[in-house]
Amino acid sequence: MLETAPEAGSDKKLGEPILTVNNLVKHYPITQGILFKRQIGTVKASDDVSFELHRGETLGLVGESGCGKTTTARTILRLETPTSGSVIFRGKDIFKMSQKELREVRREIQVIFQDPYASLNPRMTVGDIVAEAWRIHPEVLAKEKQQARTLELLEMVGLNPDHINRYPHQFSGGQRQRIGIARALALNPSVIVADEPVSALDVSVQAQVVNLLEDLQAELGLSYIFIAHDLSVIRHICDRVAVMYLGKIVEIGDEIQVYEHTAHPYTKALLSAVPALDPNAKQVEHRILLEGDVPSPADPPSGCRFRTRCWKAQEICAGEIPELILRDTDHPVACYFPERPA
Amino acid sequence: MTQVPLQTRDLVAGKPAVPGAPLLSVENIHVEFRLDFGTVKAVNGLTYHVNERETVAILGESGSGKSVSAQAVMGIIDSPPGFVTDGSVKFRGVELLTMAEKERRQVRGERIAMIFQDALTALNPVFTVGWQIGEMFREHHGSTKKEGLDAAVELMDRVKIPLARDRVNSYPHEFSGGMRQRVMIAMALALDPDVLIADEPTTALDVTVQAQIMQLLSDLQEETGMGLILITHDLGVVAEVADRVVVMYAGDSVEKGEISDVYHNPAHPYTMGLMDSMPRHDVQKDRLNPIKGSPPDLMAIPAGCAFNPRCPYAQDICRVEKPHLHELGEAGRVSACHFVEEVRDARNRSGSRL
Repeated sequence: MLETAPEAGSDKKLGEPILTVNNLVKHYPITQGILFKRQIGTVKASDDVSFELHRGETLGLVGESGCGKTTTARTILRLETPTSGSVIFRGKDIFKMSQKELREVRREIQVIFQDPYASLNPRMTVGDIVAEAWRIHPEVLAKEKQQARTLELLEMVGLNPDHINRYPHQFSGGQRQRIGIARALALNPSVIVADEPVSALDVSVQAQVVNLLEDLQAELGLSYIFIAHDLSVIRHICDRVAVMYLGKIVEIGDEIQVYEHTAHPYTKALLSAVPALDPNAKQVEHRILLEGDVPSPADPPSGCRFRTRCWKAQEICAGEIPELILRDTDHPVACYFPERPA
Repeated sequence: MTQVPLQTRDLVAGKPAVPGAPLLSVENIHVEFRLDFGTVKAVNGLTYHVNERETVAILGESGSGKSVSAQAVMGIIDSPPGFVTDGSVKFRGVELLTMAEKERRQVRGERIAMIFQDALTALNPVFTVGWQIGEMFREHHGSTKKEGLDAAVELMDRVKIPLARDRVNSYPHEFSGGMRQRVMIAMALALDPDVLIADEPTTALDVTVQAQIMQLLSDLQEETGMGLILITHDLGVVAEVADRVVVMYAGDSVEKGEISDVYHNPAHPYTMGLMDSMPRHDVQKDRLNPIKGSPPDLMAIPAGCAFNPRCPYAQDICRVEKPHLHELGEAGRVSACHFVEEVRDARNRSGSRL
């Protein structure tokens, strides 16, 4: 996995997909009763999600709370049992793998979590946290080389290697997130799933971690699935972006396509809600203020799930669910009345 | 909506208001927390004021003292361990810090109200929202239960909670995050305050809901003419709603000014660093330019300028002498940097502007 990353932003130059997600579905049953449990409904957390992750690229999953972005990522790693669908990694379906094969895949696909406080064991030193992965995967690195490699990894993520014997509470939030990144890199992964890795950090520290992730990608040829609710961070770090609403991808394309040639009304509303950094921008005047709340994923609207809040909705939107396809747009969109570039 | 009779508006807890004084002014306020293992200096000399119909943003990262300073203004710091050791907080010219608790209570809620970041923890889970909103009227105006509930319905309508009459007897957990924040706003507005302090009111909310809540706050401000103090770390929200901004670092203000002046021509290396750290959703940016290091430990704030270990322009004097806020050429602009002019020149030359 040391090929150079393909150039960002253009679909044509992207290499072959390293990970292909096909029609992934994750439903959670809602049950009632204690002795005689019966299912009274389903929460459709992730519903028919498909995308490809290419070698060396960063794919963003963006959406508001409850849109299914984290469930989708966790199901890909089989941290949640999938309801249906397939995820092809190196030619094999992760959902059909034996435990032994799955272990190997999880070495190659590592995760960075949101909360740098909760995701590190407070009773282990930094050195032990990073080296723990090699206890589970001893084939990756011989024991006598582990100390040296740990120091190297700490250095690589911008921590002082002298702090190898310190405990997590002795570090700030940004430094803890760096420890989490060092731990993820210990097994030489090819894919990293980063679940809101910078949302708990202050702006000035967030920028440091974003830059670190970009540097590591360029150096190691990593592919990222980057989950975030912050549209600005997503635009900055991602080559391609998938926007999710109520368990479904509503549009997917490269960063320019999604942000500049926005096709789905939901994405338009989402982008217009982000305050501009310029006090003279007068963005408020062009803002699309969505009414009400996101419907419950246990009882989503028929047809297009956004139609109950959409200003363009017509009768057809309540019927068939719109497919995520090209509709005279330069990227796939799941809307019967997409915005088209003028 | 029960209106306080007009003549009492000129009295603050029985004391005459000073004509022409700002609605709320905070001067040189210091707050520290005396803990077993040392003293945390949370606020170290903050000064600002807010007028009617005006929105002042207090911008800072975690640990900058922005929330603690607001709690000091409200008089809700747990003491001990927290102490306001110096400074003054005046409402319409009347000093609040030396006021007896009984009088202070008449100001708190009735004249200065506050909303908090986390509406779920700020609301009591075992009482209905109608009961909690109504409590304001029962406590301060001696209203009956029935009157309290009617007033609650009216307020819930006003903050645009749909089907208020049906939902007045619901519990906080039955509401979504955005609706809970509306309930908090309804409680804060119950007694028609002159000043509203909003402490990170939208931080826990999704961006589309944030837009709804900010719109609501600005409509309500338009309607009542209240002064709004917005405490936040979000530069975007500040840019959108504030008239003036106070940038805080390690318990002190590093610069203040009219919003567009501060954003277009920042006068402190910390403010510049914040702007350069921000990714943009509306512009492509090649590389973020973060501030190095992390904010100081408030038990060991660096000597001289608190920002000096992270500042790319720091000189010897910055490590020794604490820079005081001084006026710049432009109206209302102050900065606490020894080298404002040099720093601004360097930034303008490098062409890094918003």
